[in-house]
Amino acid sequence: MIRFEQVSKKYASGQEALTDLSFELAAGEMAFVAGHSGAGKSTLLRLVALMDRPTRGQITVNGQNFAKTKARHVPRVRRGVGMVFQDHRLLMDRSVFDNVALPLEIAGCTREEIGKRVRAALDKVGLLAREASAPVTLSTGEQQRVGIARAIVGKPPVLIADEPTGNLDPMLSAEIMKLFAEFEQVGTAVLVASHDLNLIKRMGKRVLVLDHGKLIDDFRPATAKAEVPA
Amino acid sequence: MNRRVAPAQIKAEKPVTAPPAPRATAHERPRVGAWREHHSRSFRTSLQRLTARPGATALTLLVMSLALCLPFLLWLLLDNARALGGHLDDARGIGVFLKPEVDSAAAKSLAETLRQRADVADVVIKTPEEGLAEFRSQSGFADALKVLQSNPLPTVLIVTPKIATAPTRGAPPIVDELARDKHVDQVQYDALWRQRLDAILAFTARLAGVLAVLLGLAALLVVGNTVRNDIAGRAEEISVMQLLGADRAFVRRPFLYTGLWYGALAGLCALILIGVVEIALSAPLGQLTSSYGGRFAIHGLSIVQALALLGASIVLGWLGAWIATTRQLSFGHPQ
Repeated sequence: MIRFEQVSKKYASGQEALTDLSFELAAGEMAFVAGHSGAGKSTLLRLVALMDRPTRGQITVNGQNFAKTKARHVPRVRRGVGMVFQDHRLLMDRSVFDNVALPLEIAGCTREEIGKRVRAALDKVGLLAREASAPVTLSTGEQQRVGIARAIVGKPPVLIADEPTGNLDPMLSAEIMKLFAEFEQVGTAVLVASHDLNLIKRMGKRVLVLDHGKLIDDFRPATAKAEVPA
Repeated sequence: MNRRVAPAQIKAEKPVTAPPAPRATAHERPRVGAWREHHSRSFRTSLQRLTARPGATALTLLVMSLALCLPFLLWLLLDNARALGGHLDDARGIGVFLKPEVDSAAAKSLAETLRQRADVADVVIKTPEEGLAEFRSQSGFADALKVLQSNPLPTVLIVTPKIATAPTRGAPPIVDELARDKHVDQVQYDALWRQRLDAILAFTARLAGVLAVLLGLAALLVVGNTVRNDIAGRAEEISVMQLLGADRAFVRRPFLYTGLWYGALAGLCALILIGVVEIALSAPLGQLTSSYGGRFAIHGLSIVQALALLGASIVLGWLGAWIATTRQLSFGHPQ
C-alpha cells in the first residue's frame, strides 16, 4: 500500500531530512514511525500525502507512483490518503457534521450519501450525539476523534497521522491509538508518527525508527495481535 | 546506525503483496449532482459571508459602484449632448449679415451673383421685416420689440454651399470670400461651430472611454484586493481543504462566487447612484430645457444600458476574484 524505495529528501535549506529510506507497508498493516523530533517523521508523512516530493527515490502509494503523478492529479491522490494532524485542524466555523462531511463534499458525494457516511464515521469514533455541535465546545480528545472521523469518512486505503496524541493525556492517547488499530483491521494501511515510546510499546505494532533521517530499525513484534491497553 | 535495514533486506521480508487499492466511491470523479450542489452552496455561502460583515462589504461595494457609475454618468451626459447637437444638423447654411446701408435691391443683386457660383446650392434672402417677424414669433420678445422705433435688423442672406464643395474640416472658401465683400458686415458659419461641437463630443466620448477603462481597472483591483484579504483570512480552511484532496476548482469556487456577488451588488448600487444623480439633476435641468422652449428632453439610462452596466460589473467582479485566486492560492504545497 505504501512503498518507499531509497527515498531521500533534501530541503532547499540544504538540510537532509530523509536519507535512503526504504520500507513497505501492506494493506491492513499498522506501523508507528518513531524517533525524536527532527528525525524526519513529519517529512516521511508529508511525502506520503504528496505535500512534498522526494529529492531521490521512488514512492508508491495506493499503486500510484508519485514520480509519475502530475500536479493536477495530486488532489485525487490525496483523496486516497486520510490525514490526522496533531492539532486536528478542524474548521472552527463549521459544525462537527460539516467538518467530517468536507472530504465527501470534495470527493463529490451527494447529500444523502454524505449524511449516511458522516453519521457512520461519527458513530465509529463515538461522537454521533455531537454532530450538530461546534468543534470549540468539544474536549481536546473529542476534537481529535472528530479529526479521525474526517480522515476515515472517505474510506481511504491509507491513513496517516502525525503525532495524533501529542496534545492528549496518556488515557486519551491510548484510546485514540486503539481507534487507529481498529482501522487496521478493516484493511486500511495505517502509519502513525509518534515520539511516545511507552505508548508505542504497549500497542505492540510494527515500528519504523528514524534517526537523523535514516531508518535505524524496523521492529516487528512476534505476534501480530498485541494486547491493547485498556 | 549499522542496524539500518538495507532495501534488499526489506524486499526479502516483504510481508504480503499489497492488493490493489479498493476504490471507494469517494475517490471517483465528482458527479454532476454533487457538482451542482457545490455550486449552489458556494453561491449561498459566499453571499452569507458578505452579509456577515456588512461594514466592510458596504465599503467595498460603495467604492466599486462609484468607480462604475462615473463613466456611465459621463456617457449619459454625452448622449444627451449628442441629442441636443442633433438639432443643429441643419446648420450647414452660411448666414451673411449685410451692412445696414445695403438696400434690398443691392441685396437681391448680390444674391443673384452668389447663385451663379458653382459652389453655391441656394441663396435665400431674409429681409429685415422677415427677420423681425421671426424674432417676434420665436423668442417671446414681442413686447420688448414693440418699444423699438425702427427695425434694427439687417438683411440676411442664407447661403447654402454645395455639399460636394464643402470640405469636411474648416470652412469652405466661400465663407472667406463673403467676409471680404464690401456689402457684408458679418458672416456666421454655423457648420464651423458644429464641427467644433463634434470635436468636443468626440473628445468627451474618448475621455469617457478612457475613464471607463481606468475606473473598471480600479473596480477590478478593489474586488481582487478584497478577495485576496478573504483568502488570507481563510488560509487555514484552504490549506485543510487542499490536504483533504480538494482540487483548484473546488477551492476557488466560493471565491469566484464572492467576486460575482460583489460585481452584481456593486452594479445594482451603481444603478441606484445613477438614479439618484438623475433625480437630483432633473429639476434644474428641466428648468434649463424649458428655457430653450423644451426643444430637447433629458433622457436617462435605457434598460439595455442598465443591463450592460450590471453585466460589466458582474464580469469585473468575477474577473477580479479569478485574478486574486490565481495569484494567491498556492496549489500543491499546503502547510
